[in-house]
Amino acid sequence: MRKQIVSALLAAISVFVLGGFGLESAAGRDYVIGMSQCNLGEPWRVQMNHDIKEAAAKHPELKVVFKDAQNDTLRQRSAVEEFINSKVDLLIISPKEAQPLTEPVARAMDAGIPVIVLDRAVLGDKFTCFIGADNVKIGKAAGQWIARKLGGKGKVVELEGLMTSIPGQDRHNGFREGIAGSSIEVIFQADMKWLEPDSRKEMESALSRFDRIDLVYAHNDPGAHGAYLAAKAAGRDNIIFVGVDALPQEGVAYVQQGILDATFRYPTGGAEAIDTALKILKGETVPKKIVLGTRLFDKNNVATGGEPLP
Amino acid sequence: MKLAFWKSALGSPAGRALLALLLVIMAGAIFNADGAFFKIGTHRDTLRQTSVYGILACGMTLVIISGGIDLAVGSVLALAAVCASKMAIHWNWPAWEVVPGCLAVGTACGALSGIVTAGLRVQPFIATLSMMVFARGIAKYASGGMKVSTVVQNADGSYRNVEVPPLFRAIDHSIFHGNVSVVTVIFLVCVAIAWVALSKHRWGRYLYAIGGNEEAARLSGVPVVGAKICAYVASGIFAAVAGICQAAQEQQGDPEAGVGYELLAIAMVVIGGTSLMGGRGGIGLTLIGVLTIGYLDKILSINAVPEAGRLVLTGIIIVAAVLTQRRGRT
Repeated sequence: MRKQIVSALLAAISVFVLGGFGLESAAGRDYVIGMSQCNLGEPWRVQMNHDIKEAAAKHPELKVVFKDAQNDTLRQRSAVEEFINSKVDLLIISPKEAQPLTEPVARAMDAGIPVIVLDRAVLGDKFTCFIGADNVKIGKAAGQWIARKLGGKGKVVELEGLMTSIPGQDRHNGFREGIAGSSIEVIFQADMKWLEPDSRKEMESALSRFDRIDLVYAHNDPGAHGAYLAAKAAGRDNIIFVGVDALPQEGVAYVQQGILDATFRYPTGGAEAIDTALKILKGETVPKKIVLGTRLFDKNNVATGGEPLP
Repeated sequence: MKLAFWKSALGSPAGRALLALLLVIMAGAIFNADGAFFKIGTHRDTLRQTSVYGILACGMTLVIISGGIDLAVGSVLALAAVCASKMAIHWNWPAWEVVPGCLAVGTACGALSGIVTAGLRVQPFIATLSMMVFARGIAKYASGGMKVSTVVQNADGSYRNVEVPPLFRAIDHSIFHGNVSVVTVIFLVCVAIAWVALSKHRWGRYLYAIGGNEEAARLSGVPVVGAKICAYVASGIFAAVAGICQAAQEQQGDPEAGVGYELLAIAMVVIGGTSLMGGRGGIGLTLIGVLTIGYLDKILSINAVPEAGRLVLTGIIIVAAVLTQRRGRT
């Protein structure tokens, strides 16, 4: 009996909590857009949702319903199926993986729902529009900036994002392409798995091994921040720190605070997705693929919103 | 005679645990990365890096000795880190309010786990697994899904920078001419507290008795439910301490912090020689286990061993260390 009361209570609480956290009705809007996010564990993806929300708020005829797949491919598949069943007018998806989500996306297209694929691709061509940035280009831009900054020579530490992930590989390859031909030497490289505490650990190892380090290139801003904290704790000045992503409350703020010397934006495409969605809903044609450019933030231009790079 | 010495040394769990640590440190001396292993800074860093895990392992030891397990420590750490950052950065609370506030959060999480396990008789694995998910959710909810950092959003959506709170600066600081990190001192204090509780206090003996044979303990008048709940509360408090240290070192509260830390803490406890079945072990052993894994991690890092190799080597060495522990314990 007691157990039943406890379970009933827990069930009641869950219903209450669910009600409080996000079930809203879509009545009274012209268009309902379903947004399937693969996970909200990363600030960058939180920012993407935020950008979409902000852009959509300017258009009262739009109503965006967000679903978070919590980094679970099958959960994301169900989210897409739910959106198909509730007959949304347009689907935006930032898929966790290409292969398993290709078919659900195709089924949405079959059901007459246009699909915008954001950031990560699906296979084949059964979608309306892909919007994404190019990590190789960003890595290359960072490499070229670093080569210029160091005058073509110097000792560099590279703190890599998860090297089994495509963005990690691309930011690495692009960077190597960018510094190719210069006398820049990468003296230490380690996989910090995008994590700040891990980055700090690896940087401490680099500091205890090498007495001279000119610059640290980290594949994301938290990584660069962790490396900065390590260098500061070790009393090592005169190291240049470069990161990637340039989220307003992370990398850009770090540049403002003088922690990082530069960061390169990896755009979320959230605002572009809403622009494109509006065009599609109004029956205009849109390109199949939109590649977003990056933006450099350093101490000279951070106050004016950075400098766009091609 | 020499043989007899070694036999008696290796006859005790502490001796065998020390042997494993010694072997790891010897490996460091051999693969010293151009002498980096012999610098004092390397050892300061090793101890600093491993302190947060070590603090979790202190609480974990108490729970494991009582025959339980606490999978929630990583999530409670994240929740405490988020709370500490909220209180210290956003609300400008002074340190003497932030620390008790966070410890209260840890206490509440631990008490819930303990009541569900000991009071409602849910298996500790399930009860603390639920707490692990629940606390992570609360951490994400409290932080709004974003890191709570010194970059604070204004009402109009723009951002302003605030100072890193003095509490964080004080914790992420080195003393004794920069040779010992404050977090390491905090870790050692935690070890001392856990040691006193386990070895000198009646409650510690209760935990051993419960872990050894719960039914027998109950029949001989041990307050089983109360003692077990206290073990989970202690684990929650230690996790909160670890969370404050984590936030101080990152200068922010990350709701995603501490993922997988519970498994590392369990590995540290087990490598030391504390039995997962409960009733056997000690905090000194855990200290050795913490150092073993900490040094192993550092040696792989200063040699820039690629990630794949690190994982494989770590797995092999943990099994080897546990097998050493088991030898002679028949």
